[in-house]
Amino acid sequence: MPHSTTAGGFLLVLAIVLPVIGVLLALLLGGRHAERVALAVMPFGLVVAVAIAASVWNSRQVLQYVIGGWDPPLGVALRADGLSAAMMVTAALLIPAIGLVARAQFPTPPGAEARASLVFWTLLLAVWGALNAVFLGADLFNLYVALELLTFAAVPLVCLDGRAETLAAALRYLLFALLGSILYLLGAAQLYGAYGTLDIALLSGRIRPEPVAWAALSLMTAGLLAKAALYPLHLWLPPAHAGAPAPASAVLSGLVVKAPFFLVVRLWFDVMPRLPDYAAAQVLGIPAAAAILFGSVLALRQVRLKLLIAYSTVAQIGYLFLIFPLSGGGQMGQPWGTTAWTGGVLQAISHAFAKTAMFMAAGLVYEALGHDRISGLAGIGRALPITVFALGLGGMSLMGLPPSGGFVAKAMLLTAAVGEGKWWWALVVLVGGVLAGGYVFLVLARALADPTEPLALRANISRTRQLVVFALALFAVLLGFVPLRPWELLLIGRPDAAIMGLK
Amino acid sequence: VIAADALLAAALATPVAMLAACVSRRLRDRMPALLAFAPVPALAAALLAPGSAPLVSFPPPLRMTLTLDVPAAMLLGTAALLWIIAGAYCATYLRGEPNAARFAEWWLLTLAGSLGVFMAADLVSFYLTYSVVSLAAYGLIAHDGTPGSRRAGTVYVALAVLGEALLLMGFVFMAEATPNGSLLIRDAVAALPGSPWRDASLALLILGFGLKIGLVPGHVWMPLAYTAAPTPAASVLSGAAVKAGVIGLIRFLPFGVPMPAWGEALATAGMFSAFYGVAVGITQENPRTVLAYSSVSQMGLLAAVLGMGWAAGDPGATLGASFSAANHILVKGALFLAIGVAAAAGPRLWPVLFPASILAMGLGGLPLTGGALAKLAVKAELGNGLVGVLAALSAAGSALLMLHFLRCLVTCRTTNTDTAPPAGLAWPWLAIAFAAIAVPWILYPVTGSGTRFDALVSGTVWSAVWPVLLGIVLFGGLWHWGSKLPRVPEGDIVLPGEAALRKTAPWGEAIERADRWLRQWPVASLSLLMLAIILGAAMLAWR
Repeated sequence: MPHSTTAGGFLLVLAIVLPVIGVLLALLLGGRHAERVALAVMPFGLVVAVAIAASVWNSRQVLQYVIGGWDPPLGVALRADGLSAAMMVTAALLIPAIGLVARAQFPTPPGAEARASLVFWTLLLAVWGALNAVFLGADLFNLYVALELLTFAAVPLVCLDGRAETLAAALRYLLFALLGSILYLLGAAQLYGAYGTLDIALLSGRIRPEPVAWAALSLMTAGLLAKAALYPLHLWLPPAHAGAPAPASAVLSGLVVKAPFFLVVRLWFDVMPRLPDYAAAQVLGIPAAAAILFGSVLALRQVRLKLLIAYSTVAQIGYLFLIFPLSGGGQMGQPWGTTAWTGGVLQAISHAFAKTAMFMAAGLVYEALGHDRISGLAGIGRALPITVFALGLGGMSLMGLPPSGGFVAKAMLLTAAVGEGKWWWALVVLVGGVLAGGYVFLVLARALADPTEPLALRANISRTRQLVVFALALFAVLLGFVPLRPWELLLIGRPDAAIMGLK
Repeated sequence: VIAADALLAAALATPVAMLAACVSRRLRDRMPALLAFAPVPALAAALLAPGSAPLVSFPPPLRMTLTLDVPAAMLLGTAALLWIIAGAYCATYLRGEPNAARFAEWWLLTLAGSLGVFMAADLVSFYLTYSVVSLAAYGLIAHDGTPGSRRAGTVYVALAVLGEALLLMGFVFMAEATPNGSLLIRDAVAALPGSPWRDASLALLILGFGLKIGLVPGHVWMPLAYTAAPTPAASVLSGAAVKAGVIGLIRFLPFGVPMPAWGEALATAGMFSAFYGVAVGITQENPRTVLAYSSVSQMGLLAAVLGMGWAAGDPGATLGASFSAANHILVKGALFLAIGVAAAAGPRLWPVLFPASILAMGLGGLPLTGGALAKLAVKAELGNGLVGVLAALSAAGSALLMLHFLRCLVTCRTTNTDTAPPAGLAWPWLAIAFAAIAVPWILYPVTGSGTRFDALVSGTVWSAVWPVLLGIVLFGGLWHWGSKLPRVPEGDIVLPGEAALRKTAPWGEAIERADRWLRQWPVASLSLLMLAIILGAAMLAWR
């Protein structure tokens, strides 16, 4: 029976409900307590995520929960495979870290006015709950709801400071994301009309290679690409990610853009597992390659640190989508397909850590200097050595230098490209790495240079905050110590062919 | 065996541990005085471990494998010796320097990579240590923070990152062609001749390592970097760090399988560099720049030796080449320190000049020096034909270039002290000078090309003397007509290269304009719809 609640299935409910309870409590108790509520919920959320991952790992099986005991297609199910578990742990590690660094920026104020604090902390929890719902959803409509929740939680994070500029950026983000939602919903409706279910497991059994399925999947994919800001659909990303307060940028760039990517993976590998074999997968590689090349060049040309990091996100999203052209061309059962798949997911995880660390480091630099002009960074390396070290470690992962997680991810993507004889994708990965080296060097060389006049710091940055950022960057590097082989955890719940490919 | 394992591990772990200790502010401030101790375990490993530890594996999650065969042990030992002596030099050199601790950190990181790369036995460890030595060197080159050193650092990093991208691709090709998913370099090299991507792999390896050892036109970073770096840094970079490229060629090229086309191509590129370095070097006036061009020349000759050995399928070429490289580590490292000591010395210059002259002329093959032994060690590879004659002529060129160096060393001093150089600088200089003369004699029998006595046979002596004499005659010419030579800027073709790079700026602007255009609402919305349609059409049209 594909749909039955497995042992430990209640954990999946808990993963979504916990942050939601936090949101409700915070709203109920008001801004004076929002921070405390959020920080209190975080350790529990982390425990739940780790428990889910441990349970999936130990049983080598998918964790499932059927809500209310109603089997799909009537009811809805939550489902955690290895990929969900890995993404959930990533989010559960990053959100508390972001919270720790953000405490000084969004403190509970002494007076009665506590709006910014209330909004930030409730939205942070809401983003977390929505992310978990995306990672656990087993039904395309459910996933739509989760994705909308995520968008509505993420958009206000952009304009927390209420400046006209960030409001415009937030509105841009919201409208384009809605455009994407419409396309997604359109596609989902077509699938429902044709096959009578939106449950992924049932759908994958019923879907046939025919025009209605292709139309639906291409609409949904395009809608998700808009939300993931894949070049040339990135109009909203640079202003939103660069304009938001640094902890919010970190959530958006590190985690939120990974959710639509995750859903495209679900569509292409779970709903219609033969899809990456299509020429369409190669077509999808073109915007991915454009993202890597143009995004990196644009990052090189920025004069502000946060914009540079935002454009670097545009480029790094491109690497994620290389998973599709590199997994196809044969069966998913081929070892290279599995290698590309693992490399892409590892890229998503290591980028999440590296980018979160880099945005928060940029935020600390901004707080200390009162600006983030790259030309004015000289001397910051001595004033905030730990922060600049974190920037460097994060940059190392973006460049793909060993032993970072980015290196392992890149090596796997390259291996897949070589194994399938598609060297042109390898060329893109390499050129992207060189360009990333360029923009990381640009920042570090400035930061480590001696200032012409003594640096006047606007604010003192506490050591604890710097160390948290550093720990995240270090984690991105330590990810490189996972073996250069497809990761077993990520393959739990994949079609059998994928596991066979390992042999 | 356990002791050998531990020695190899300690060789790598000691500099890393010292770097980690810099977290403590108190230790960090004392580190500049302790640099000489970091490479001591590596020297011990090179003396005690070779052969006894064929392969040391560290368990996951480290998964590093180290090895130390004889060619690598020669390089590791001499490099460690240079790092020790230059580290001792640093203790005095850095006194009173405001950024001394920062310099020490970059020093330790570069040191860890430089020594580690000689021991790495698998592709990932090699790539890791190679990247560390390549990129950390930036911190040493740009240390002074002057516009010149920043430019040198930028050019250096750009080429280093490019070289690493080439190597990464080459390594991926090699790993894909290796059976059973082994990542050991020896397995990958064994599988290379039968690899479907053989030529692509070889081209990438030669280009990547060629950039590191400064094969023309990948040499442009060398004159800039060695001129800009502080004296002890230039010493270890030109002596030890550059050998990461040499060990790369030694480890990765399949010497057991004759590949005449590839081998001769490498030899040709190397020989061209050997003469190019001399030709441009004699137009330079800064003794550091002259030494840098000498490195271009010497590394070119080494590439020629390896190329000829490979063309003939002679695995023994690696021994002769690594002996020759080991000699270069000590001599080049010593000569850079000589520049520093000479600058700090008063009018009594001979304690610097006399040993420096012997060492310098050794690069031209002066009998009884390590250079003459190095020539003997690679004689079999170069042979007596055209290549042998070219090699002898390049030795004459080296003699010429070194005489020019000695002249620059004397004339370019802008010192106004009347005292002897500080003992903390003078002793390391004398120690490295002694080592550069003595160590090659100790190591020579290891190469298996004969006994030390061979170097004293009259025929050998004559074949070593005539290039030096020719070099002296040529120097007479240079002395006389040298002023007529054109002034070549340091880094020669780096200027047109930088100009060409600036010409790409319009591309960047075009990409920016395109970005602004794409990020307009109507364009982005249309792109979204087009993408949906194209994806759908692609699914419909080609399955």
